Amino acid sequence: VSGLRSFVARRLLLGALQTVAVVLLVFALTEALPGDAAVALAGDQPDPARIAAIREAMQLDRPAWERLADWASGLLRGDLGTSLVSGRPVSQYLADGFGPTLLLASLTVVLLVPAGFGLGVLAARHAGRPADRLISSVTLAVYAVPEFALGVLLVTVFALRLGWLPPTAVGYGTDLLAHPAALVLPVLVLLSRPVCSLVRLVRAGMIDALASPYVAQARRYGVSGARVRYTHALPNALAPAAQQLARTVDWLLCGVIVVEALYVIPGLGTVLLGAVAERDVPVVQGLAVVFGVLTVVLNLGADLVAHRLAPRTGVAA
Amino acid sequence: VSAPRPLRTGRFALGLTIVAVPLVLALLGPVFAGDPGPRAASFTLGDGHWLGTDFVGRDVWRQVLHGGRPVVLTALAATALAYLVALPVGLISALTRHRLLEELLMRPLDVLLAVPSLLLILLVATVFTPGAVGLALLVALANVPDAARLVRAAATEAAARPAVEALRMQGETWWRMAVGYVGRSMLRTLAADAGTRLTGVLYLVATAAFLGVGVAPDAADWAVMVDRNRTGLFVQPWAVVVPAVLIVALTTGTNLLFDAALDEGGRRTRKETRP
Repeated sequence: VSGLRSFVARRLLLGALQTVAVVLLVFALTEALPGDAAVALAGDQPDPARIAAIREAMQLDRPAWERLADWASGLLRGDLGTSLVSGRPVSQYLADGFGPTLLLASLTVVLLVPAGFGLGVLAARHAGRPADRLISSVTLAVYAVPEFALGVLLVTVFALRLGWLPPTAVGYGTDLLAHPAALVLPVLVLLSRPVCSLVRLVRAGMIDALASPYVAQARRYGVSGARVRYTHALPNALAPAAQQLARTVDWLLCGVIVVEALYVIPGLGTVLLGAVAERDVPVVQGLAVVFGVLTVVLNLGADLVAHRLAPRTGVAA
Repeated sequence: VSAPRPLRTGRFALGLTIVAVPLVLALLGPVFAGDPGPRAASFTLGDGHWLGTDFVGRDVWRQVLHGGRPVVLTALAATALAYLVALPVGLISALTRHRLLEELLMRPLDVLLAVPSLLLILLVATVFTPGAVGLALLVALANVPDAARLVRAAATEAAARPAVEALRMQGETWWRMAVGYVGRSMLRTLAADAGTRLTGVLYLVATAAFLGVGVAPDAADWAVMVDRNRTGLFVQPWAVVVPAVLIVALTTGTNLLFDAALDEGGRRTRKETRP
């Protein structure tokens, strides 16, 4: 038990350090501006009034560590600062984009788990036969394709040639649930990479588990095939898959940014890209901290779950 | 689950065929592209242009010939750069007897691993305007933590073998042990990882270019072409479909090719759990 507790403690400590590091990194990157930060941020419109306004808004005349302390203590209180461009609070930007992104992400995860495990177990059951070869080849091929290329081709086929689905979500605003047809292509594209990776992991884990001595022993006892598969073999194939599920959060984030840009969905990815284009540093920092901390927490959770499922294999820390 | 040999050769040939077209276009395309003709109207078809014209009236076929090289070269450079850092860091931390040095080398990478790669790239793009070199550096940086961990895991396994102990007792140099034995014995693992890493790097380079990072807004780059010509998708789909298909072929083909080429080796050196 002490081994488990010390693992949990170490993993929690690493998670806390990662959170602090994400905050520091986000702050440091924007501090790394070459020359006068206000001039650099003014970018295409370097008129003196705007430069002065930026300097005042970001309090650039104060030392960096004071600003960091202010910003970090603001983060703890949930105050993410205000936008340089519009003067609105960053939390409002987050609230605006949160709905569509949450909808996309949760739909994707809800479909990802059954599809990934179902296809993975199916492939493992028919290992080496046509069904397995088909699933393995397709997942291997689609796994590598960038979302934007796949997305644009799907739009060309299903929206342009066949006319079955709308090409983008333009005009639907944030109320996407009322227009499910507009969600089909974005969710499909978001699913493409995580599903492939999950299927491959579940397949590999199941094949290993099904070839193991304890499964052979269970079969010798006359335990039914389905029971062997789902109550004995599958749990052992779960540990690596649980970790992969958390890693897909990274991909989901990348995917969400691309998919929202491609299908013109007003979510957090669109907010982030807009802020990057306008060099709206406080908004980018706020979003980056939220995304970064979310990734840290989900990876932490997945490592702890994986450790619970297979305590023998030490994970991460 | 050993795939019979003809099957593996078949997959190898398939991967090679799929990757050949975009690769040849990327490497030799600029040689055959010729002079840029006069600009025509935007998004037109026919009129001497095989694939029509793009959003500013340039010939799409010529842009396609030019657009592969930046994607391929940036990806190759980023992969090489990532290993250039990851190999020494991983090897040193696996072979050193100073625990502090090991922690000092690996812990910062654990922390960096927590930042999603595209987020890191976008953060930097907020304050700088990175060019192609900057993009390669950024993508390499995003790949270093994972690569270093893999190198360290493979090197630790090799360094625990009796052969290394024998070399050490014979008084062989650190260099000979690290490069001559440990480095050589993990070549297969590294080759397998290089395949998946190159695929991941291609993905990241193309996606960043699509989002406008590291490229000029009117650059001849397949990913940029997909982005900029999207507005004319209903009028002139070729300007989007051709570069998109080439990117799909490039990434898919690379992945299939490496998977088939390293199938056997991957199985022999496969570790129980990947960290």
